[in-house]
Amino acid sequence: MTLDELEFRLNGFTGEEGTTFDALVTEDGILEVVCSNNDEFPIHVTQTETQLLSVTALFRTAEVLAGKQDEVNEAFLRLSPAVPLSSIGLQGDTYILFGAMALDTRFEIIAHELEVQAENTVDVLEVVEHLLA
Amino acid sequence: MAILRDLFTALRGGASEVGEAVIDANAVRILEQEIRDAETAIGKAKQSLTRMKGTEIRLKREIGVLDADIADYEQKAMAALNGGEDALATEVAERIAELETDRNDKGSEQAALDAEINKIHAMIKARERTIQKNKRELDKVRTVRELQRATESVSSNFAATGSSEHRVAKALERVKAKQQNWQDRMQAGDWMEDKEAGDDLDAKLRDKGIGGAGSPGASDVLARLKAKTA
Repeated sequence: MTLDELEFRLNGFTGEEGTTFDALVTEDGILEVVCSNNDEFPIHVTQTETQLLSVTALFRTAEVLAGKQDEVNEAFLRLSPAVPLSSIGLQGDTYILFGAMALDTRFEIIAHELEVQAENTVDVLEVVEHLLA
Repeated sequence: MAILRDLFTALRGGASEVGEAVIDANAVRILEQEIRDAETAIGKAKQSLTRMKGTEIRLKREIGVLDADIADYEQKAMAALNGGEDALATEVAERIAELETDRNDKGSEQAALDAEINKIHAMIKARERTIQKNKRELDKVRTVRELQRATESVSSNFAATGSSEHRVAKALERVKAKQQNWQDRMQAGDWMEDKEAGDDLDAKLRDKGIGGAGSPGASDVLARLKAKTA
């Protein structure tokens, strides 16, 4: 499924839990998806030759309270196995939550993963909120 | 090729700007070239393997024909011997010997070719496995590049919205408020549904004369007055 097709289908879709999607392919060829269950942290979807990658930027290292970065890192390492369908990582100076799916993943599954990723973002941020400036 | 280790070194080194190579671009180009070269080599090897297999099939068929000829001449030699034609039988035996030499030569050629074919076939399989492995390595690089591209795209939103103090906390608060609002509306919807279903149930019960006595009619009043006078 191309990102354009995904954009088209997501815009008219409502997830099982009532989540709707606002999707747009940007000029850079990246699909920006805003899920109604968390419209503050958009998910950016891109693809390689074999997989779809969905990325949510959480916060920058500069937003972590002074001296608390180790605590944030440990919290994320401990949290990661418990977060379904998403992984937590550091890309440059930005903490990200991301998921990877095979290119032939069924549309409904993709939509569900995006819905879960949007929900996971809130859950993960709640854990480290007190460590952020 | 320990691409993951190179990736990690590059990423830790701060190769995070858009367009900045996550690993030495030359290393990626070399890997891509290696994959292309290996695929071309495999393509050629497969063509040559097909030709060799063709030759081997032809030899096998020729050996089959020679075996049939030998069997045929053996029968004829036996017939000549049985008929007392020893000279003719000797001539036939000489022909059989020639055919057997020919067959043995072709047999050796076919066995050598067969061994060579198996060797090339195994080599092709091994090269194909290497290509698959290299492709997976390359995909790791591409994955990191795409993750980097997507992150940069999202990060530019931070800049646009301004990284104000308590940005995450404020955003979380807004999300939770919206989620609460949504849940409240869902609850209100459920309440309305229950209410409507409940009203409907009361109406059904009334129709059947169960519970909820409605407004008293004239006959009820009359009956009550009669009871008082009695």
